[in-house]
Amino acid sequence: MLSPFETDQLLAPKYLLWMWRGFETTLQLTAIAVVLSTLLGLFLAAARSSGHAGLRMAASSYTALFRNTPLLVQLLFWYFGVPALFPDGWMEWFTAVHRIDLAGALTLRWPSLEFLAGMFGVVLYSTAYVSEEIRSGIRGVSPAQWMTAAAMGFTRGQVLRHIVFPQAIRMALPSLLGQYMNILKNTSLTMAIGLAELSYTSRQVEAESFRTFQAFGVATLFYIAAIAIIESIGHWRQQTRLARDAAGRS
Amino acid sequence: MDLAVLLDNLPYLLWGAYPEGPLGGAALTLLLSIGSAVLSAALGVCLGVALAMSRGVKRHLLTLFLGFFRAIPVLMLIFWTYFLLPIAFGIDVPGLVSVMLALSLVSAAYLAHSVAAGIAGIRSGQWDAGLSLGLPRLKVLRYIILPQALQVMLPSFINQWVTLIKDSSLAYIVGVNELTLVASQVNGRLVVYPAEIFLFVGVIYFILCSALAQFAAWVGRHADPVAIAARRSRRSAKDQLPAGAAGHPRPTDPRHCRATTLTGASPACAEPEDAFGLPQLPGWVHSPSSTRPSAAIHSPAARNAATEAGTPA
Repeated sequence: MLSPFETDQLLAPKYLLWMWRGFETTLQLTAIAVVLSTLLGLFLAAARSSGHAGLRMAASSYTALFRNTPLLVQLLFWYFGVPALFPDGWMEWFTAVHRIDLAGALTLRWPSLEFLAGMFGVVLYSTAYVSEEIRSGIRGVSPAQWMTAAAMGFTRGQVLRHIVFPQAIRMALPSLLGQYMNILKNTSLTMAIGLAELSYTSRQVEAESFRTFQAFGVATLFYIAAIAIIESIGHWRQQTRLARDAAGRS
Repeated sequence: MDLAVLLDNLPYLLWGAYPEGPLGGAALTLLLSIGSAVLSAALGVCLGVALAMSRGVKRHLLTLFLGFFRAIPVLMLIFWTYFLLPIAFGIDVPGLVSVMLALSLVSAAYLAHSVAAGIAGIRSGQWDAGLSLGLPRLKVLRYIILPQALQVMLPSFINQWVTLIKDSSLAYIVGVNELTLVASQVNGRLVVYPAEIFLFVGVIYFILCSALAQFAAWVGRHADPVAIAARRSRRSAKDQLPAGAAGHPRPTDPRHCRATTLTGASPACAEPEDAFGLPQLPGWVHSPSSTRPSAAIHSPAARNAATEAGTPA
């Protein structure tokens, strides 16, 4: 058993629960941002390789704009700036609690303004990076694939959707996973706009319990665990692919 | 949009309360990023060399160490340095220093991998050539491998600086009055123009970062080994043309001379060695001595002598 002195050094269960809640918020935000930024990134990558010059330019200026400004400033803009531009009355609606009770236990709750602004900021920022990875994946697909599909009567959009994107994503997957790790790490910035995610709660626990080392240690471990999971997905994919290739050859 | 409000606050956004008070705003952002850029470049090269030169368990440990800095958010590392350094060492660490330290550690961890990759990308013939001249491994690395590797890696270094400028905004969290914090102060004072202020601050960051990114792209085009080789051959062709036209014997290309010296086939071409006992390297390889005693080989007499001696009678 641990001596009283040793248990005194640990974080109280209450604090661990706080941080676990924070970690859940971090994971939620990451999952949403991964899905949305991949979808939007596909559109952006398609726009950058489209035949329309205006569309290409719009897409590349989006990328330049969002990549060359700090995420923190973007978050502050979405959280403080944009709501100020809303017509009167919208803000009351946003800050009020909205919930729908779905048959018994399940409740759907409209997310807080902090969560929405954080989501907006992280998704739009990550889309610029994800689309770049997809674009380099597209460049890796051989031009013969385009020509073959065009000869078979596919339209440009169909070629992208059915032939190029599936291959491009598979090719870009290792670097896409790297971007997903960045998304996870970048969600920590939403603490600046008051979203109670992992970094925010670790700071809160630190301020209340005065256990600086333990509070940040636990948060760091959570982050490393999440990153390790994403990394192991990449390893697992690589292994199964190698195994499949070997099976295909023999 | 009310531009007058922004213009009134422009000096404060750009350099804080500087002449009267402490430096802040965009100037401090620049200072913070330059400081961490220099520190991370030095640290990154050291760690990258260590990563490239180590094998086995040591290499695994180093990869793990670097992996730690790449796995946790920069913000978390700022917390570690800001809140724990004072406790661990009992000294008062200013926010600026702790942020600079955190940023350089993270960015050095990223740079180390590209330095190691750059070193691995140098052809093994370069190592063999250096070692066969009797140079110790470290000298081969220092005078032959690193200058070539760093040149190839320069764009990735500059791109890392773009990331540093953006990440310096995180100093906001621990109260360093750089651009983002100053902007939120202005926002707090004016209250009614948050969108305009943060857009404007975004523009300042955008100008800084995209200028640097453009520079990285330019360097990338110019530092490309193929482009360098093409430029050099153009230049040497221009140098040789008048000599040939004036009826002089075609001068021995110093580079051919060097190639034969390395294999020991042409003693007449033997190049003067410098203070470090190193052969003269091409101009783009950093030479350890500032004075290059290569004038002898460029004088017409020496050139003729070299040509005569080089051709078998």
